[in-house]
Amino acid sequence: MLARLKRNWLYLAIAAVIAFFIVIPFGWFLGQYTTLMIFIGIYTIVTVGLCLLMGYTGQVSLGQAAFFGMGAYISAILTTTSGFNPWLAMLIAAVITGAFAYIIGYPIFRLKGNYLAMATLGLGLIMWILFKQLNQSFGEPDGISGIPYLSIGGFAFDSSFRMYFLVWAFCLAVLLISQNIVRSRTGRALRAIHGSEAASESIGINVVRVKVKILVLGAVYASLAGSLFAHHLRYVGAQPFDFLASVKLVVMAVIGGLASIWGAIFGAGTTHILSDEILLRFGDWDVVVYGLILVLVMIFMPEGLFVKLKEVFERLRLRYRRKGVEP
Amino acid sequence: MSRSAILETRGLSKAFGGLVALDKVDLSIDTGKITAVIGPNGAGKTTLFNLITGVYPVSSGEIYFQGALLNKVPAHKRASLGIVRTFQHVYLFGNMTVLENVMSGRHPRSSYGFLEAALRLPKARREEETISLNATKYLNLVGLGTYAEHDALSLPLGQQKLLAIARALATEPRLILLDEPGAGLNTLEKRQLSDLIRNIREMGISVVLVEHDMPLVMGIAEWVIVLDSGQKIAEGTAAQVQKDPKVIAAYLGEEVE
Repeated sequence: MLARLKRNWLYLAIAAVIAFFIVIPFGWFLGQYTTLMIFIGIYTIVTVGLCLLMGYTGQVSLGQAAFFGMGAYISAILTTTSGFNPWLAMLIAAVITGAFAYIIGYPIFRLKGNYLAMATLGLGLIMWILFKQLNQSFGEPDGISGIPYLSIGGFAFDSSFRMYFLVWAFCLAVLLISQNIVRSRTGRALRAIHGSEAASESIGINVVRVKVKILVLGAVYASLAGSLFAHHLRYVGAQPFDFLASVKLVVMAVIGGLASIWGAIFGAGTTHILSDEILLRFGDWDVVVYGLILVLVMIFMPEGLFVKLKEVFERLRLRYRRKGVEP
Repeated sequence: MSRSAILETRGLSKAFGGLVALDKVDLSIDTGKITAVIGPNGAGKTTLFNLITGVYPVSSGEIYFQGALLNKVPAHKRASLGIVRTFQHVYLFGNMTVLENVMSGRHPRSSYGFLEAALRLPKARREEETISLNATKYLNLVGLGTYAEHDALSLPLGQQKLLAIARALATEPRLILLDEPGAGLNTLEKRQLSDLIRNIREMGISVVLVEHDMPLVMGIAEWVIVLDSGQKIAEGTAAQVQKDPKVIAAYLGEEVE
């Protein structure tokens, strides 16, 4: 009885959150934040892949922006120069990026810890340089423009309002899929690898293969996000996929709580608003303030801001309930 | 090759650079028995386990498991063949609950993959149910059923070691290798451990243990193999080995000529 009541409350809360997300882009509500929310949705998709890789499997990637950029650039090039259907281009981008992650996965996961971080960092830098070259080959010196809108039949996602729903539909799908994976046999294998690789091998987990698989999944997520990014802005340049972008993605994952799928929304949201809205007011000091916030988060809540907030909320709830029970 | 052996090694050697950790060791582990491998520190006991489970490649010699050559089988495939081990340093998965640790031991005995997991297809749900049932069974077997939802590392060391054994048993092994299962346990826990090991043998699983605790070894081992400086210096029943002058010398550090 009590359990059912509790479950009903949970459903009600979920319904409220969904309703909230649905009304955000309406002018009379938070319409002015629609574009901001689109970026947060796109970054959430990338961050979830990074959470699976770093938080669950314990493998660092300082080059996740490379996969993000591959999605954006492959979509941009295929649709502008070869007239591909945007959806087909998005699919091709995801397949190529996934295959690329698969191929580099085996050699890269011979490395661990700091060495893995260095290798992925190198990957990010190489791809960033490649993106800059692609600008010159396929577009203008600074980027590729004239990317078409995504559309279904005659319905074009040609406004932020429409794009918002598309991006968050993708985001929701990615979150649900990731949550299913985390709670499965594969999810246990991921966490087992994080816990002890020796013990994982001993109980029959193919450690390298599982790592490569999760890298590929994260790369596909990032690629899809990149394609959405390209079709939303209708222009891509190399700057959003540079080294700092990779760092920003790691920060998003850390703030959301590395081992927390839904925290990714929170991490992506906080970090994006912080770096692209609030910190701009500090002028040249933005990097200092940014760094300070990061250091404080790592010292006081290494498990992530989102997880910490959840804990605090839980504690308050318990205290409240105890008071309620006492005569 | 004797028919009753579950595991045999022939001329098994392992060198780390110039250091010879195991030197042409011939062993035969009987099916369905409890075998102890003893020897002073640095005798090569853990190296032997690492070779059998594929952590290191063999330098020379062969390992046969149930008559089939094991040398080239990758480490992660040996669990599904039926070889599993525990570790001296326990190596539990600290980011999981007690039950989840045992559930991860069902990995080689379940098959649903990425896609089925991602979409939570019926196969995934069905297998997940079986995994959880089986895991609970093995958790109860080692007497930790009531701690299922606790964090694995919140258990005291003795129970952590039992949990590691439950995780290993969940893979349904034919042969289980226990690396110093008694280290750090108190008298009561050691008695429980002995009972559990006998229990495992009753299940038809062959047991090999590396152990420093002599009373524990003498109490349960049906066959004892003694290693020293990477070589097998003696084997026999516990009573025979204890009287062997070479064994006594190895432990007391005398020269035998």
